[in-house]
This record gives sequence, C-alpha cells and structure tokens, in this order.
Amino acid sequence: MSAPEIVFQEVSKFYGEVLGVNHVTLRIPSGITSLVGPNGSGKTTLMNLMAGLIHPDRGVITVRGLSPRDPERLMRITGYATQYDAAPRGVTGLDFVTTGLLLAGHGKQEASRRAWKSLERVGMNEAAHRKVAAYSKGMRQRVRLAVALAHDPEVLILDEPLNGLDPLVRAETIALFHEFAAQGRHVVLSSHVLQEVDVISDRVILIANGMIIAEGHVRGVREEIHEHPSQYIIRCRDASRIAALLFEQDHITQVQVHEDRLGLLVATRNQREFSRALTRISLAGHTVESVVAADENVDALYKYLIGGGR
Amino acid sequence: MTAEFRLRQAWTIARLQLRRVFFSKRSSWVYLLALFPSVPFFGHAIEVKLSQSRYASRVTAAAILESIREGDTDEEVLKTAGEPVHERKFRRGPRGEASVEYRNLIYFDGERRWFLHFEAGILQNKRSRPLIDFEDDRKVFAGVFQYFYLRLAVFFGCLGIFMNLFRGEILDKTLHFWFLAPARREVLLAGKYLAGLIAATLIFATGAALSFGLMLWPQDAVELSAFWRAQGPEHLFWYATAAAAGCVGYGSLFLAAGLLVRNPVVPAIVILFWEGINGILPAALQKFSVLYYVQSLAPIPPPMDANAPALIQLLMSPADPPSTVAAVCGLLAVTALVLWIASRSVQRIEINYGTD
Repeated sequence: MSAPEIVFQEVSKFYGEVLGVNHVTLRIPSGITSLVGPNGSGKTTLMNLMAGLIHPDRGVITVRGLSPRDPERLMRITGYATQYDAAPRGVTGLDFVTTGLLLAGHGKQEASRRAWKSLERVGMNEAAHRKVAAYSKGMRQRVRLAVALAHDPEVLILDEPLNGLDPLVRAETIALFHEFAAQGRHVVLSSHVLQEVDVISDRVILIANGMIIAEGHVRGVREEIHEHPSQYIIRCRDASRIAALLFEQDHITQVQVHEDRLGLLVATRNQREFSRALTRISLAGHTVESVVAADENVDALYKYLIGGGR
Repeated sequence: MTAEFRLRQAWTIARLQLRRVFFSKRSSWVYLLALFPSVPFFGHAIEVKLSQSRYASRVTAAAILESIREGDTDEEVLKTAGEPVHERKFRRGPRGEASVEYRNLIYFDGERRWFLHFEAGILQNKRSRPLIDFEDDRKVFAGVFQYFYLRLAVFFGCLGIFMNLFRGEILDKTLHFWFLAPARREVLLAGKYLAGLIAATLIFATGAALSFGLMLWPQDAVELSAFWRAQGPEHLFWYATAAAAGCVGYGSLFLAAGLLVRNPVVPAIVILFWEGINGILPAALQKFSVLYYVQSLAPIPPPMDANAPALIQLLMSPADPPSTVAAVCGLLAVTALVLWIASRSVQRIEINYGTD
C-alpha cells in the first residue's frame, strides 16, 4: 500500500543559473490541488519534477511513496497531461492513447478497449481516427487528458488542463476531476485563472518566483482574493470632482487623476460597493463614459500577495 | 517487473518506433546512400547486356582475330575479319600540314572485344579485353564495399538513423511521451536501439545484397553457376553480415552521441577521423574502432592502387584483421560498452525543450 501523499522535501531546481523552484517543502494530500501562479513562477517545474521529466538539484520527492526516478513503477500510478502540444508524427488520437497502454504492458485488445473508454470520457471518440496534428487546440488538450487517464492512474497531473476548452467541455472536464478526486486519488493541476481554481480545487498552492507563497484550503485563499484591491480605469468629463466623491468611500484605496483630466485610475477593496458608488455618482448628474477593469489577470493578485497586501 | 516483461516492453517500443524510423523525412537520404552503389553496378550491367545483344550478330572467330598482325592494312583486315561491331574514322594533324587518317575497329569474338588502331591505313596497335571480367568485377565490388559502403554509406546512414532516435524526438518535442511511459529508461534505450538496428540492417544489408546481385547479373552463366556452387552464398552472407555489423557498431556510437551532444556534425567528424586513422594506430587502440572489426568480415580484401598517394595508401590500408570470431566478439564488446555509456546518459536526460 503506497503512502497517499505527494511529498516535496527541501526541493530546489535550477536551469543553469535560472531558478526553477527553491526550497520547496510540500505535502499534497489526495483530492484536487491547484498550483496557481503567474507565467514562469515554477508550476510546470513542480509538475515535471513530480513526473520525473526533470530531476531536482537538491531535496527529495516521493509520489505516493514512489521516486520519480523510477518511471517503471511511478508511471503505472501516474498520468501526466503536459503542456507540450506535440504528438508523435502521423498518429491518430486512438493510436496516441493506445500506444501509452501498449507500453504499459496491455495486450492489443485490452489497450484498444481502454483507449476507446478514455477517449469517450473526454468526448473524443468521434475524432478518434483523425490525425492528432489536425486537431484543434482544445481537442489536443482533451486527447492528452485521455492519454493521462487511460491507465486509470492514482495520480493525475495536469498542466493548464482547461486551456482552449469550450465552456461545455470545460464543465464536463471539471466534473471528471471531481469524480476522480472523490475516489481518493490525487488530481494536481496548474492554472493561472483564479476563478477556475476557485471552482475546481480543494486546496491551492500559490507559487511565485519558484517559491511557495501560500498554501491551504481554497476558502482562505478566496478571502485573500476578495480583499485584493481591484483597479479600474474610468473615462469621464469632470474627473477631479468624481475623484473627490470616490475618495470619500471607505473601500476606495487609491484614486489617481489622468493627465488629460478626463480619466481616473481607481483601486477598490469592494467591487460591489464600488459599483453602487458609481451608480450614485451617475444619478447625481456626473457623466461616466466608460469603466474598464485594469487588472483582471492573476499577476495583479500575485503582486498584491507577494507584496504583503500593500 | 521481470526481465521477460522488460524484453517485451523493449520490443513494443521497437515496433512502435520502427514506422517512424523507416518513414522519417529527416532520414530519407539514408535510402539514397544505401542504394547509391547499386547505380554504377546497374549501369555496368546494362552496358554489358546491351553490348552483348548488339555484338551477338557480328561475332568473329577468335582465331581469325589472333591471326591479324600489326602492319596489316585496314583493307586486308576487313577482308579477313569481315564487318567490325564498331568503326570510327577521323583525321588529325598539325596545322598547315597534311593530316593523317586514323581508323579504329572493334571486333567481338563472343567473349572478348578486340581493339584495332590504324594510322594511314596501317595497323599500329591490337589489344583485346573481355567484355566482362568476373574477377575484376568482384574486386571492384570489394573496393566499393570497403571504401564507400562501410566507411561512408553505413557510417553516415547510421548517423542519420540513430542520432535521430533521441535528438529527433527532442527537436519534435515528443520525447516526454516516451519518458512518461511506465518503462525504465534503459528499456526505452534498448527498444529505440533495436528499432534503429532493424531498420539500418534491413536498409544496408539489402543495399549490399542488391549491389552484389547487380554485379553478378551480367556475368557469364557458366562462371556464375560455378561461383554459386562454390563461395557465392558465403560471400553474399559475409557482405550482408559486414553491413549489419557496421550498423550494430556505428548505431550504438551515434545513439550515444545523440544523447550526449546536440550537433551531429561534431561527433561525425570525430568518429570519422578516428575510424579513418585506424590503420595507423597502435594495435591496442585499433581495437576501439568499429571499422577494425567490420572490415575483416568482408570476404575479399579491397584492391589498392599502387599509384595512389602514400598517405591515401596508409589511411586506406586495413589494420591487421582479427579472426572472424574475434571480430564478432570484439564488435559486440565495443557496442556493449558504448550502449552502457548511453544508458547512463539517458538516465540523466531532462525534458527541457526550450534549451534544445
């Protein structure tokens, strides 16, 4: 019986002089865990380390008690859908999934049966005989997921698994992750879309610059997200007056008038209250031409978290 | 996991890899290399066959042609020997002076061609040459096989096939697919090597056999039959075996090189140089070479032109050949050593396509 945790002990990885991850110590229990961080933060490095595609310069990793240096045993219990888009030349979706199963030692018939089942789970059975090279981005994403799922692994590692999926397929895929996690398995995925993580995960690990900056249950991180000041750009006629009105609100943390006196950059801790305040200002006769969110990406949250909430 | 399971896994990897090796665009030029020696042998065979059919209607008895002496006039020769199979007349001389008429006649006695050269109507020179010389052709084949096929075609062919087994996957960004299979890296290496070896052996052993067959094609039926009853099958076997052995040795070298370096040109130059100077290396160092073992498997030593420059003669002269058993064992030992180094290297490979 293997230990049901993925463990990183003081793991560091450098690419030459470039830091991959530094002094990472983690215990990931079963369930859905999201690695969240901006591009280049070290999410893929952590996943590649778990799967043995790269090796740590320092520290020890075990995946349910197995070393990533032992692919023969590790990859029997692990499925990894990488971000690498390429598939061996000329293969069809069915070949792609079947090949992995043949390598795992399944006979042709069994490999074919499992491959069809896996393709069906990701909604790709109709495109099974088409070449992977002719697939759309979303289809390639799904066929990689089918490869990872095909041998029914205990640990599913997924690098940005929802990228390129349409909303319906996205919902089905998330349901699949939940079903998987409910069976006591690991689902470790990476994302830089906060809303996505919020819906999917039991647990979140926030990474920045190769270091773990926060980890825990989603609720705690969600609170951090709600407290995170959002920034908006407002185009209006009397910017100075509107700036003064907004600054009277408690939730407004910053107001900056644009050089042309026709725009404002506003930071708020409470989006709902901000929306109400803008309505009141408009009803009072001030002309607000447009309101655009200035920081809808995860980088802004990270700047906030790394900076200690300033 | 049992050894049997790992062997089956290596075979599965080899089977999956084979299609890619045979149909890889990146190494399609390998087929040209393998088939290249067939071209001159095919050309030679066609030329002989065409000549045989063209000359068949105008055969002149050998005794008549032997009776012709230098000093005979062209009219006398034509009267004695009849119509030649080929005739050419031309005039040549210094400017301003009277030109001299030259006449070349070619006769065929069923086996040999007779070349008669006349100046001003007088026979100056008579020589004969067999239309085809089996002994010569076999020597030519031995030379082409040793100097071109083993040293260059098999060498560069293996570079094209085996370097791509890992390096090609890195360039295509598909190596992670194999690394994510539940297989030891050594098993993956063995499977890929096996795929490369099967493909290279089939391509080059077939290429060697095809060239050998084309060399034999126009030969005299009686001579050919005697050859097949004597050493023919043995020769064919050893040429194909030598080509296959070259693939075994060079394949391992280039598989390892593909894991250790990014640019194939560097190992190609280094190994080619090392193999090239094998003949002049001290006896102990000669043993660390593929060519040393492989060339001794070829059934006929290659001819060496006595007029070739000394350096060429030195580089082309084979090292003292080991016995066949020693050659096979030595080659397998060198291959095993190189594959062991490659297996150490494949353990350390990381997927980091960005830097490749």
